[in-house]
Order: sequence, then C-alpha cells, then structure tokens
Amino acid sequence: MANRFGNRRDDDLDREISFHIEELTQANIAKGMTPSEARRQALIAFGGHEQTRQQIREVHSSAFFESLRFNLKAAIRFVRHAPSFSFAVILILAIAIGANSAVFSAIKAVILNPLPFPDGDQLVELNQHDIKNRDANRFVAPVRVEDWNRLNSTFQAISGYYLDDLSEVSGPLPEKVTECLVAPRFLQVLGVSPMLGRDFTPDEEHFGGPDAVLISYSYWQRRFHGDPSALTQKVHVGSYSYAIVGIMPASFRFPSAGVDLWSPSAPDAPYARRRDATWFTVIGRMKSNVTLEKAQSDLATVQNQLGRQFPKPDADLTVQSRPLKETVVGSVRGSLWLLYGSVSLLLLIACSNIAALLLARTADREHEIAVRFSLGAPRSAIVIQLLTEVFGLALCGSLLALVFVSAASRAFHLLATTLPRVEEISLNWKIVLYSLATTFVTTLLCGLFPAIRGTRRGLSHSLAQTGRTQVSSRSRIQWMLVGVQVTLAVTLLVGAGLLLRSLQELARVSCGFDSSHVLTFQISGSWGETTDMKGLIQRIDRTLDGLRSLPGVEATATAAALPGASYLYQVEFKIDGKVDPNRKFLADSRYVSAGYFDTIRIPLLVGEICKAQSATPEVLVNRSFANAYFDGGSPVGHQVQAVGYNDFAPAGQIRGVVGDAREEGLGSLPVPTVYSCFSAPTPFPNYLVRTQGTPLAMAEAVRRRVHELEPARSVYGISSLNQHLDDASAENRLRTILLTLFAGSALLLACVGLYGTLSYLGRIRQREVGVRLTLGALPHQIVTMFLYQGIRVTVVGCIAGLLLSLAGVRLLSDMLYGISPLDPETYASVLILIMLVATTASLIPAWRSSMAEPTQALRQE
Amino acid sequence: MTPIEKTDLLQGTLDMLILKVVALGPIHGYGISQRIHQISKEVLFVQQGSLYPALHRLEKRGLLTADWGESENGRQAKFYRLSAKGRRQLTAEEATWTRLAEAIQLILGAAPQEG
Repeated sequence: MANRFGNRRDDDLDREISFHIEELTQANIAKGMTPSEARRQALIAFGGHEQTRQQIREVHSSAFFESLRFNLKAAIRFVRHAPSFSFAVILILAIAIGANSAVFSAIKAVILNPLPFPDGDQLVELNQHDIKNRDANRFVAPVRVEDWNRLNSTFQAISGYYLDDLSEVSGPLPEKVTECLVAPRFLQVLGVSPMLGRDFTPDEEHFGGPDAVLISYSYWQRRFHGDPSALTQKVHVGSYSYAIVGIMPASFRFPSAGVDLWSPSAPDAPYARRRDATWFTVIGRMKSNVTLEKAQSDLATVQNQLGRQFPKPDADLTVQSRPLKETVVGSVRGSLWLLYGSVSLLLLIACSNIAALLLARTADREHEIAVRFSLGAPRSAIVIQLLTEVFGLALCGSLLALVFVSAASRAFHLLATTLPRVEEISLNWKIVLYSLATTFVTTLLCGLFPAIRGTRRGLSHSLAQTGRTQVSSRSRIQWMLVGVQVTLAVTLLVGAGLLLRSLQELARVSCGFDSSHVLTFQISGSWGETTDMKGLIQRIDRTLDGLRSLPGVEATATAAALPGASYLYQVEFKIDGKVDPNRKFLADSRYVSAGYFDTIRIPLLVGEICKAQSATPEVLVNRSFANAYFDGGSPVGHQVQAVGYNDFAPAGQIRGVVGDAREEGLGSLPVPTVYSCFSAPTPFPNYLVRTQGTPLAMAEAVRRRVHELEPARSVYGISSLNQHLDDASAENRLRTILLTLFAGSALLLACVGLYGTLSYLGRIRQREVGVRLTLGALPHQIVTMFLYQGIRVTVVGCIAGLLLSLAGVRLLSDMLYGISPLDPETYASVLILIMLVATTASLIPAWRSSMAEPTQALRQE
Repeated sequence: MTPIEKTDLLQGTLDMLILKVVALGPIHGYGISQRIHQISKEVLFVQQGSLYPALHRLEKRGLLTADWGESENGRQAKFYRLSAKGRRQLTAEEATWTRLAEAIQLILGAAPQEG
C-alpha cells in the first residue's frame, strides 16, 4: 500500500535521510576526514538505512486497515478463549436485534413506506360530511364526484369506487367474486396501468357503453391459469357479461386484496343522477407540490359553489380529506409503535445486561490491558480493540437476527392477517441496513462504557495490583446497570400485565347475546338489485324461510353488520316527529331482520318483536335507548325517524324494547340503539343461522339449500359467530401475546443480569468472605449480606420502573378495557413477581459464596 | 561519561525531548539529534533509527508540523515546528517529568534512619 499511495512520501523520506547523511558527512570532513571516509562513517553512524525507512513507513501505514486486521484477530481470539460467554452474548443480541428489526420491518412496510403507487403520498381520500344533520354517511354521489373533478384546481384527477359481492356464473357452480365498481379516471388517480391489455375507454365509462372489466392477477391465475388469451374472453357476473379488457399486475390490490374485478360505474346512468344517491368512496391525486391544506381549501371553495347552485343537499355538505395512507393504516399505528417501543426497551435491557457482563470481563482482563499499556499502546487503541471484540459479537448476533427477521416476516403474513399492508412486509436491504445500524448502536451502548472504564487506570497502577481492592467503584456501576434492567423490565411487565388483565376482563363480560351455535355467511348480490327493493326483500325473505326449514336450524336472520365488530353508525333521531332543542337523540342505527333477536337470543323486555312482513316500518329499541330518552316511560307505540334521511328511512313505530347487547364489540358498553326491522339493508347482508349442533357442521347443508333456492348465487364468508368475534379481537390478542413475550424476556434478562453480577461479586470478594468466615461469621450472615445487595437494587429498580410506567402508561390507555391504566392489582402483582424472581436469582449466588472454603479462598492470595 | 542511548530512555521521554528541542525554533532532523547531543553535554545520543520514526509519529499525531525549507548551508531540508497541540503536550509532559524527578530525588536523597 505504501508503495502505491506513498510515492511522494517515500521521496520526501529519502530526501530527509540523505540530507541527514550529507550533514554528517560534512561534519566528518570538518573534523579532517577524507570525503570518502567521512561518508562511510556517516553511513555507519546513521545505522540501518532501509530499516529506518521501513519503520517510518510503518508509522504512516498503520492506519485503518492495519489496526482493523489486528483488532479482528484479537476479536477472534477473544471468542475462542471465552466461547460460552461469547455464545450467550451473541444469542441475547440475536434475539434483541432480531425482535427489534422484525417489528421495524412491519413499521417500515405498514406505516413508513408510501402506498405502493407512484407518488403515493399525493393520494387522498375525500369524504362528504353533513354537519347540520350529523349524518354519518360519508359516501359521495356520482354526480358530485364529477363536479369535484371538474371544478377543482389542485387535483390531477378525482375518482371513486364501491364494492359489490357477486357471483360469476360461467363455471359449473357460481363462484363468489368481489367486483369493484369504479368512477371514471380510477386507474389514472392511482397511477397504475394494466399489466396486459388496456384501461377503460371513455365509451366504456359512459352509460350504455360496452360492458368492460379489468381482472386481478390472482383471479387471472385462478380462473384462466395465467393464459393471456383471457383478454379475448368474457366473465358472466349476475345478469351481465363483461369483456375482459385488461389484467392488473399482482401488486395491485386496491381497495383490498380480495378484489377480483374492476368495472366502470357510469356517472351518467339514470339512477346515478340524484345528488342524494351516495355510494362512492372518493379518492383523488393531488397535483405535485400541492399540500393537503391547499387541496382541502380548494375543495371547500368548490363545494361552496355547488351549495349555491344546488342548495339542497349540497349547501349542508363539507368536504374532508385525509391522506389515503391514513385510511389504510388507521388503527394499527398505535399497536405497532407500542410493540416497537417494547422491543426497543428489550434491546436496551439486553445492552445493559451485556455491558455488565463485559464490565466483569474487562476486569478479569486487567492484566492483559496493563501489559498492552506498558508496551506503549495508546488508550484509544485499546478501547478500539475492546470495541471491535464487542462489534464482532454483535455482528454475529445481527446475522443470526436476520434469519430471525426473515422468519418473522413469514410469521406476520401467517398470523397477522388482519394487519393492513401485511403482504408488503419483507426482508429487504433497508431492513438489513437498519439491523446493521442497530448493531453499531448496540456495540457502542454495551461496549463503550466497559471499554473506557476498563482502560481508565494507567500504567503505574495496574501492573502493581490485580484489581481485588478496586471492587467498590466498579461494582457500583454494575449495580446501576442491573438497576436499569430491573427498571425497564418492570415497565414492560406493567404494560403486558395491563393488557393481560384487560383481556381477562373482556372474557368475563356478559355480552347480552348468545354467540354459540350461530353460523354466519353472506350470499352474493348486487347493488343494482336495489332498484327493485320489493324484489330484493322477497328474495332475501324467501332465502331466510328456506334455510329456516332445514332440519337442525332453529332460527334465521339477516343483519347489515354482525355483532361484535365496531360499526358505530351514530344517527340522530326524531321522536314522534320532534327534535328536542336541548338534546340530541343519538343512537346506533342497526338494520336487522325480525328473526335477529331470536337467533342470537337478545331477550325481549317490553312489547313485541316486529312482524316478519309488515307493511309499515317497525323498529325495536334497546334498554339503553328507552332509559336515555323515555325517562322510565314505555317507548312502545312512539315513532322514531332518522334525521336527514326522509326518503331512505321513513318513520318507524317502536314495537318493543329488547335487552342491551354489546353489538359494538365486547370492549364497548352498549349504546342506545335503534333496530330497524328490515331484512334487506344491503343486497348481500350477513346471514345468521342458529343451529342445534356445531354451526360449521351445517355449512354444507346451508350451501346446498342456497344453491337450490338461488342457483346463480354463491355463498361465501362462512364462519361461526364465535370465530367472527375471535377475529375481531385478533389484533388485541396478538398485541397482548407479543408484549407478554417481550416482558417475559425482559424479566429473564434482568434476572440473568442480577445473577451474573452477584456471582461475579461473589468471586471477587471470595477472599473477604474467607476472612469473615475464618473470623467466625456464620454462612447465613454471608448469604444475607449478598442477598441484601441484590434486593436493594431490585427495590430501587422497581421504584424507578413504576415511575417510568406511570409516565408511559398513557400510551396504553385506549387499548385497555375494564381496568384503569393505574390498576393497583396489576402493579402489585408485577412488583410481587419481580421481587420473588429477583430474590431467587440472588439467593443462588449468595448461597454459593457462603459455601466458600475459607482456607482455599485465603490460599488464592 | 558514557552516552545514554535511546533504548535506555524511559518510554515517552524521547518524544518529550524532541518536542522541547523543536520548541526552541524550527529545526530539521539532523539539527535535533545534534542539539540533544550538545545540550545534554554529550550524555544523550539519539539513534537516527529512533529519531525519524518518532518525528513522523509526532507529526502524524499533530504535535509537530513540517515543511521544506533551506538549511543554513543552502540545502533543502525538512524543518519541524511545534503545533499548538504540541506545545500543550510539552507543558503537560514537562510538569509530569518534574514531579517524577523531584519524587525520585527525594527518595534517593533520604538520609539513613537513626538507630
């Protein structure tokens, strides 16, 4: 290296040396020697010419690579000399870095990465909002989508979509397909083109134009086995047949992974022209350099203009926009950051654990370090050597961790199916970089302190002593590290404890309905059927009756939404045509068929259940509604009507009062609820069937019966109501399990730290113990002495941990159910647990130290 | 008196001597070896094999700076100067050395105890 890069330096060196020899020669001549003798003597006096040059070169070339090579060699030697120690460190780091990187890979994919569309950050979702009437309906009329698109100045394009669950009928059995009906410009907004074929033509996007469809990659594979000739074929969906014009790439899964077909929904169709006929979820692509605020105010102007032009209903509407990513990622953000916080705490615990181990280790190596000092190594070189050793271990750990991460991303795909964008989680180079960066930070965190500490005492000091008398100051630091571990472990345990307790509370809740022995499923249908409501109701009632007559079926019902999952569709009601100026009659509005209460066993308290086929709309209310708005009087016979829905929801007469049921999920208290008895709230409502035996055992019979009744429709989403409720709490459960796992590891690490530190101190103080025993101390006094130290640091750690928990527990508060974030029981059990475990971990080394043979301990001197 | 060669000097002492000599004014390697020899009344003699690696090491650590200039007899020579960092280092080393020397002197000068 010196030869290639150091030519100039070599020349300088030669010049410097020859100048010196020249001067010597001149001096010799001045002494009276002949020139040749003078030069000879000068060369002799100078000594080994080439050797000196080599030495000087070494001064310069010792730079980075030389020392790296040296340090790596030292690191390898280190691992070879202490294999079990190294293995333990590597394993701890592998788990800690692995868990951290795995959760980070999920955060990266789900939260941090832009949506998988070009310039995904320019995409927004637009909702209309009716402030005056508190209408929770956020869908937008097709004509309004066209108006927004035409009048705005901040968007490249605005489009919309809604989903239909239909049946494809060209096969021997109808197959359920999910069709996404899209407003014009849908692909333009998303910035995606078909993989094969083309986007829709303007003709196809107009009413009366040719029926065209784009198919998803998975549908193409499933139905056409990836044959490109699919582009010449048709799909038969319901009563329509669509020509396939394009195949979307595999990565395109908008608005959900389950979509099979996209087809245009013409905004100029006769049924789409009403300004109050709302069904589109609207998406838009902002022009580049346009901020959300600017787009929002632009649309507000547009909507104002529409309000003047069409006072009813546009004057009451406002537009809300939020990044499309928000709507996709939504609620899991909190959970993921919580998990990331916990794995980071775990990593910190691992670091302080390893730092404590290393501290003990550098103390053992004091002699080696002293020898290196005495050989002239600067302190920085020794620190770097010690750090390189740790880095070597951390690197091994992080390589193992990457294996862990790739396994974890597979586990995410399998376990966290409800996680949005889960399919985008993968091990890629960014995650590898992240792990490497973590490794560096980890190295510094756990290595720097012991290295600086271990090299603090200079030459004079360490050769003279072997460190026995220096215990106190170093052990203080070690105790501090153990204290940190206990603190963090307490924090994690409190978090996990609260989540566990709230799961426990949830399991104890009486939900007000009976979810056992209920089979649920859906039957395909199309929003197009809503043009003939009478026919739709008849069709669904016929199906309900047909299913009811199956042997083993006790009751059947339909519902717009299944109980147990959040639906929260708060609507303001008028009672007997009146609005109370002092308060709003807010209630959850649920659409169920008359058989619903029988099927999931919500008891009737007052009055009677709606008649199955009633000419006038009938409703039931729950006990909360009656208590809240009728002050003890009977609501039966009164009229309720949703405000602002005159056309769609006529006034209904209250027929009876039913018990409160936790329809919004087990974790939510029942709210005032109005059940409108209506069997066809959507063309594909949820069917609920109460069975005598195991619900899923009836699945086949149900499927056959539906096929007899409706040969062109498919049954899908078959599940039991219990399973459905379980799925609804899957995120909650997964979060709890993971946090508990992390907290358990943290506890284990803290104990290992405690145990290791006490064992080390026991060894260091062997002589002292020997002396004490010789002087008549009893073994139990020795045990008490060590135990006291362990317990003292645990108590301090517990106090600090409690304070930290109190500060951090706010993060958890909206994930808890039925317990306060300050639940004393949880805190008490965490403290008891940690004291018990810590005492056990201290007892063993304490006991072992007291067993020392006094004579043997003294002889070691 | 027999000259003391570098190998007999305490570790780090040579560096201090070099810094001290350079502190007197810009000087080339040959000059340094001569000055040490002269000032120590010919007791200390620095081998060139030790001198030049030490000079280069000090330069690399930023204690010395060097540039080429003309020597007293008109030839190109590499002149060393003390940097600010070098000056601080020298002060520190001098202080330590003085304390050590005094301590040793005290011990060597202790009178034998009576009795």
